[in-house]
Amino acid sequence: MADTNTRILIAKTGLDGHWRGASLVSKALRDAGFEVILLGMAKPDEIAQAVVDEDVELLGLSIGGHIDVVERIVESVRQRRPDISIFVGGVVPPWAARKLEAKGVEVYPPGSQLPDIVAAARRLTGLV
Amino acid sequence: MTHDNRQNWVSASGIPLKPYYTSADVPATHRDNVDVPPGAAPYHRGVHPAGYRSKPWRILQLSGFGNPEDINKRIKFLIANGDAAIRMKHDRNTADHLYNVDHPEVLARREDVGQTGAVMQSIRDTELCLDGIPIESSYAHPGGGVVQHAPYALAAYWTVARRRGIELSRLAGTGQSDFFVTYLGCVTKQQIPTAPGLRLNADIMEFCDKHLPKWVPISIAAYNGADSGLNAYQELGALFANAVEYLDEIKRRGSMPIEHAAKACGGVSFRLGMDLFEEASKMRAARMMWRDLLQRRYGITDEKVMSMRIHCVTAGSAMTYQQPLNNIVRGTMMGLAGVLGGIQSLGVSGYDEALSVPSEHAHQISLRIQQILLHETNTAAVTDPLGGSYYVEALTAALVEKGWEFFEQIQNEGGFLATLDSGWLHQRAHENQQTDILGQSSGERVIVGVTDFRNDISPFEVDGFRGVPDAYDVAAARLEEVRRSRSSAAASRALRELETACRGSQNIMPAMLDALDSEVTLGEIGDVYRNVFGDWTAPRITV
Repeated sequence: MADTNTRILIAKTGLDGHWRGASLVSKALRDAGFEVILLGMAKPDEIAQAVVDEDVELLGLSIGGHIDVVERIVESVRQRRPDISIFVGGVVPPWAARKLEAKGVEVYPPGSQLPDIVAAARRLTGLV
Repeated sequence: MTHDNRQNWVSASGIPLKPYYTSADVPATHRDNVDVPPGAAPYHRGVHPAGYRSKPWRILQLSGFGNPEDINKRIKFLIANGDAAIRMKHDRNTADHLYNVDHPEVLARREDVGQTGAVMQSIRDTELCLDGIPIESSYAHPGGGVVQHAPYALAAYWTVARRRGIELSRLAGTGQSDFFVTYLGCVTKQQIPTAPGLRLNADIMEFCDKHLPKWVPISIAAYNGADSGLNAYQELGALFANAVEYLDEIKRRGSMPIEHAAKACGGVSFRLGMDLFEEASKMRAARMMWRDLLQRRYGITDEKVMSMRIHCVTAGSAMTYQQPLNNIVRGTMMGLAGVLGGIQSLGVSGYDEALSVPSEHAHQISLRIQQILLHETNTAAVTDPLGGSYYVEALTAALVEKGWEFFEQIQNEGGFLATLDSGWLHQRAHENQQTDILGQSSGERVIVGVTDFRNDISPFEVDGFRGVPDAYDVAAARLEEVRRSRSSAAASRALRELETACRGSQNIMPAMLDALDSEVTLGEIGDVYRNVFGDWTAPRITV
């Protein structure tokens, strides 16, 4: 199985409270041997700070439709940790997904399968 | 997995299904019900003998975005096109939390504001929404899906009416104030605990009983339980457990006849999923269970209050991101299940549900689906067309039995509110989500376009809705203006009286109406709630 010392932070960017995605993904990642820190709904600067404090290798964001806040988070996080990998999941139209991908963020819309997300986590944290 | 090697023939909720059914499969306890006409107890066949002939189901589509003026335009457009229902959708960042836009949590996400509903921070915003709209002749859902927001949303609408000289007793519409969305489905950052939430809902019920006879005060929306993972019979059991909290509270208060409370709770909302016959059977089961509950537990004998009225929304979670036009078929099939189940009103999710808030085009298609069902399929001609089907009668009876079992489990856990506080209900929902998503990767669950049949030659891409760019700035300026130009003495007095009402046990609605009229803002009311009621501690779900 995977290295149990690899840490992933999962946070929700919006105030909407939908939790299905984040909770299913965190369980899959934990079952795969990752250490997952669930931050919940957090402001951009809180997420950026947590990434530093928790010393994670991968940041997962649960997003909901509009990506301006997400883009700000990505920028803020990369200022402090330029090395960190970021992937996002949630409801996002294709044009917005492409904008994020152009910034080096992997996007997992609804219908994404957990094995693919776990494989991505391995790849993004250099375990593969 | 292909259809050919499928072994597991069960309903979506896991009820084993036989290859075919005969009369022997209808349980003895249910056999006498089969030939009862619609409109007669126990109402599994429908609440009215003439069904859709007397009144077609109401087309009720959810949509929302932008500034109050955008909502105003959309309402006028719908009224001009023959729709008599007003839907006011509030921006979730502000409304759900009762934050004004200058709250740090909202400010940190300013671009999100106005994307899923309009910011309404004071009575002036509500007036903008309703400008030029004949509310005295409309049916309205003024918002307030979330429990702590409901008194504000209702009071705002009612205050606009009062300011126009319209008596509250003339107003028709519905509240929601739904525990499922608030404490299970969309657990937001901050909510008042479940006990004061129950108090607010009972206050709304009492107030409507006295002053708004044409208004449905609250609506139990088990939809949000189902789309969080509860299956068909869990959705049933949980809905009735929720109803019991309201009815028991009204009984304890002794403030209104229990029959009135039953009628007030009798308009509910279910999810429509993709298992056609199970979903239609679920509505039949629901109507039977409602009557049974009122008789057995509350001793009600007045048949007039025992019919359940059902609103449905098709499952958002069934709509795929991949090949979104396929969702037009899904919306149609789920809508059909509702029609066959004899529901009173229907919302069909947009085909772009998995991408964004519905675009105008998706909205139009959802309307057309309903109109085609109503006008072209002839399914409205006969009430309960599935009645007498051995399969459907057996499934109806099975859902009733399992629904009551789940209800009893909830009672054993201390009741509906207790299962929300402890996370027991969230665990049940999460378990099903797990089974479902694992089934997708294992090949047991086929979702067209997602797990299988993924080739897509679609000539164009679905865009999704883009929202408005200036909602935050507009709202911030309006907030400033209200603060600057209102009578601060009147607002302070009204806010103090609201706080007194919250701390006491009197009905909160008169003070809420006064607060709205005195131009108290949303965030100020939220601060009073946070001060008086505190914060709910959301349960940890064992992942």
